[in-house]
Amino acid sequence: MPPPALLQLDQVTIRFGGLTAVSAVDLAVTEGALVGLIGPNGAGKTTVFNLITGVYQPTAGTIALAGRPLAGLRPHRLAALGIARTFQNIRLFGSLSVLDQVLVACNLHRPTSPVQALVRLGAFQQGEAAMRQRAEELLGLFNLLRFRDQPARSLSYGDQRRLEIVRALATRPRLLLLDEPAAGMNPAEKQALIALIRQIHQEFKLTILLVEHSMRVVMGLCERVAVLDHGEKIAEGTPAEIQNHPAVIAAYLGVDHQTALTHH
Amino acid sequence: MQEFLQQLVNGLSLGAIYALIALGYTMVYGVLRFINFAHSEVFMVGAMTGWAVGRQLPQGTWWGGLVVLGAAMLVCALLGMTIERLVYRPLRGTATLNVLITAIGVSLLLQSVFQHPRVFGATPQLFPPVFPERNFALGGVALSSNQLVVIVVAALLMVGLELVVHRTRLGMAMRAVALNPQAAQLVGVNINAVIALTFALGSALAGAGGVLYALNYPTVEPLMGVMPGLKAFVAAVLGGIGSIPGAALGGLILGTVETFVGGSAWLSTYKDAIAFAVLILILLCRPTGLLGRVAPEKV
Amino acid sequence: MESKVQSPKSGIPGPHLALVGALLVAGGVGLCSDWIDPYHLDVLTNIGINVILAVSLNLVNGHTGQFSLGHAGFMSVGAYLAAAVTLNLAPRLFGPDGGAAGPTALLFLGALLAGGLAAALAGLLVGVPSLRLKGDYLAIVTLGFGQIIVVLFQNFEPLGGALGLNGIPPYTTVGWVLAWAAVAVFTVGCLVRSTYGRGFLAVRDDEVAAAALGLDPTRYKTVAFVVGAFFAGIAGGLYAHFRLTITPGGFDFTKSIEIVVMVILGGMGNTLGVILAAVLLTLLPEVLRPVAEYRMILYSLLLIGLMLVRPQGLFCFKRGRTN
Ligand SMILES: Nc1ncnc2c1ncn2[C@@H]1O[C@H](COP(=O)(O)OP(=O)(O)OP(=O)(O)O)[C@@H](O)[C@H]1O
Ligand SMILES: [Mg+2]
Repeated sequence: MPPPALLQLDQVTIRFGGLTAVSAVDLAVTEGALVGLIGPNGAGKTTVFNLITGVYQPTAGTIALAGRPLAGLRPHRLAALGIARTFQNIRLFGSLSVLDQVLVACNLHRPTSPVQALVRLGAFQQGEAAMRQRAEELLGLFNLLRFRDQPARSLSYGDQRRLEIVRALATRPRLLLLDEPAAGMNPAEKQALIALIRQIHQEFKLTILLVEHSMRVVMGLCERVAVLDHGEKIAEGTPAEIQNHPAVIAAYLGVDHQTALTHH
Repeated sequence: MQEFLQQLVNGLSLGAIYALIALGYTMVYGVLRFINFAHSEVFMVGAMTGWAVGRQLPQGTWWGGLVVLGAAMLVCALLGMTIERLVYRPLRGTATLNVLITAIGVSLLLQSVFQHPRVFGATPQLFPPVFPERNFALGGVALSSNQLVVIVVAALLMVGLELVVHRTRLGMAMRAVALNPQAAQLVGVNINAVIALTFALGSALAGAGGVLYALNYPTVEPLMGVMPGLKAFVAAVLGGIGSIPGAALGGLILGTVETFVGGSAWLSTYKDAIAFAVLILILLCRPTGLLGRVAPEKV
Repeated sequence: MESKVQSPKSGIPGPHLALVGALLVAGGVGLCSDWIDPYHLDVLTNIGINVILAVSLNLVNGHTGQFSLGHAGFMSVGAYLAAAVTLNLAPRLFGPDGGAAGPTALLFLGALLAGGLAAALAGLLVGVPSLRLKGDYLAIVTLGFGQIIVVLFQNFEPLGGALGLNGIPPYTTVGWVLAWAAVAVFTVGCLVRSTYGRGFLAVRDDEVAAAALGLDPTRYKTVAFVVGAFFAGIAGGLYAHFRLTITPGGFDFTKSIEIVVMVILGGMGNTLGVILAAVLLTLLPEVLRPVAEYRMILYSLLLIGLMLVRPQGLFCFKRGRTN
């Protein structure tokens, strides 16, 4: 019997009033995989992420991490279980510096207690120093260390997206969910991002689920791709299979007209 | 049973006043998303206007009462628009907390201006009986003409407001601004005018509320707005702030509950706490109030 | 912004040195108090109490972004409990003519701590159910709890009912107040300037993102609320033993609003600014005393004017923080 998938979605459905945003989606992501999740605008990709991270609870169906059902767990508990994410609409902390964004994420594995923050002796100072060092290493990996004391919002759009990835990595996740990490990047930046994602995937032994509109990024990175349309999973397979899948082509073509009307 | 009906009538007439004030909070919140703390002082100014005008008029006449009511509503509408124009408009777009503090400032200003001996002073004054006074008995339930006036006027004003909001262009513009100010502006709604008129409407209702309140508790003084204002605000939140029927419902519930509690020998000393206890209970079960929309935050 | 964490090399952490320094200054002022004009002492005591209130509320409103309007309620819990402790114990322990300095100081400290802890407990009881509400809803619920606390005191005869307590022993001195102010500033400052404490700011800036990083927003808010309530309780105890009379009405929501104004005027989350605002807003009514008739009018005009001219807070010289 194969080992259970790290992430397993089983008939997951969520409704917002009359709108079924995600409808009976099955998805299995094996440990160490790099899976793409694509679909036209409004297909429900971000909602799937919100379901996995506990922002929303599914109306029906179950989600499990390494065989453990996640129903009812709140987002911070899921983060503690090893799920980290980035956001499609960047959500950095407005008043924190670049370094502090990452330090704050180190809290999950913080060696010291809040009481020690008051006493501030030996262990506390070592702990703070260790976290700082780790945060700086991660920033260095993404070439963001030069901005360490700047407020995050002074960074370029692409850098902000990459900072969100650093922040997510600082929680030492097993499963990383990236929501359109390449949005707003130019081709050169996209190329660099592909290399970087590949690097962290290997270096940190991560399992990655990636939502992306840029086919270049998806095709360049993913071993498997799942396609959502109107909340339903319409196809799954290797990038090559997906590209020629009639349902996928229909979904993208069919929706193009609609998107023009309703989404922009 | 008779006792119960009597309390119900008393409660409804108090609740109707809370509802009138609560509407102003809710309307302003609807379009600007902030708590206009100065609203309770607009209410006070309404009562003061009624007092000043009422003293000049022959007492106990229907027309005199209506003139007093109209004058208070007019003065308050102007006051509300002035406050909006001078203070809130320049602050539009800044953090809500700043606007809130400014509102508190305006509220303190109005209180202290009226507390100045040359303006009014701190001593409470008797409110003249501007409406004819008569007591009715309906199957054992005593109803004073003032209570009747309160209930009838409040009901008429609320129906009127409902018509304005749902049947007129102004109402449509108000709802548009409440939903999405930018989009409303794009389709040609004059936001400034809509907001000014919202303030005028809400303040006029508070002015009417002030006169009606003063009629039944027949004194006026500069701090008289604080408690009713606070409770009306509670009523607005209770009903779901931003929702007009919610404000009316919240006001009626609050007035009724408070009257019943005040009437019971056991609990009467806890009367002022009841409004808040009810509010807290309801919010803990329904975090956006009774009729407030529940919108999960989009991520 | 506050990116300077303790450098790991130094032996005694800097904040501790600052605290010890501040405590020494407080003690010094306390010792010199015989030579200071009593009116100035009163003003200074008032300032100290307001600094404690404002800095502790700043942890809740400023750093954690939870708009609480019930601070005066927690202050009243501390005031009543501390006063009840000294009123009941002092005559028994020291007889009618007061005790020696040492034992009274110990009793006072105990009373203050009891008041602070009771307020913290009240903070926990209020905070746990209400902190899942947001923004204005939280504001009104905390306001409601504050008012309920006032009404409960009004109806609780053993603590004087609506008349309140009087004849409270005059234990509060400038030294005590300044020392507690130093402790409050130190505690809030150290909490916030640590990796743990950045969580308060993160929760304020973006709750969803903070939770996604494993920070429990409810937990942070509750901690902020409880610590804030504790110091409000301490301030209440100091206030009671300074005024010698307390009534429930003195702790109603106008008092809460006064403290909120200090926090906002100081620039939310900006500790130094909040301290300065507390000083300024305590001094302002004193300065306006000669024009007593127009005092409140001027005060409110100033408040409005400041908000129009400096919406980012009076003492915030960095970029305005709009949220
Ligand atoms: N909290 C919510 N309340 C109501 N509807 C929602 C909510 N969240 C998402 N939706 C709806 O669910 C549908 C799917 O949205 P989702 O954001 O998941 O799409 P997406 O695939 O991520 O699209 P995009 O490529 O534009 O990011 C949309 O119609 C959206 O309006
Ligand atoms: Mg999306």
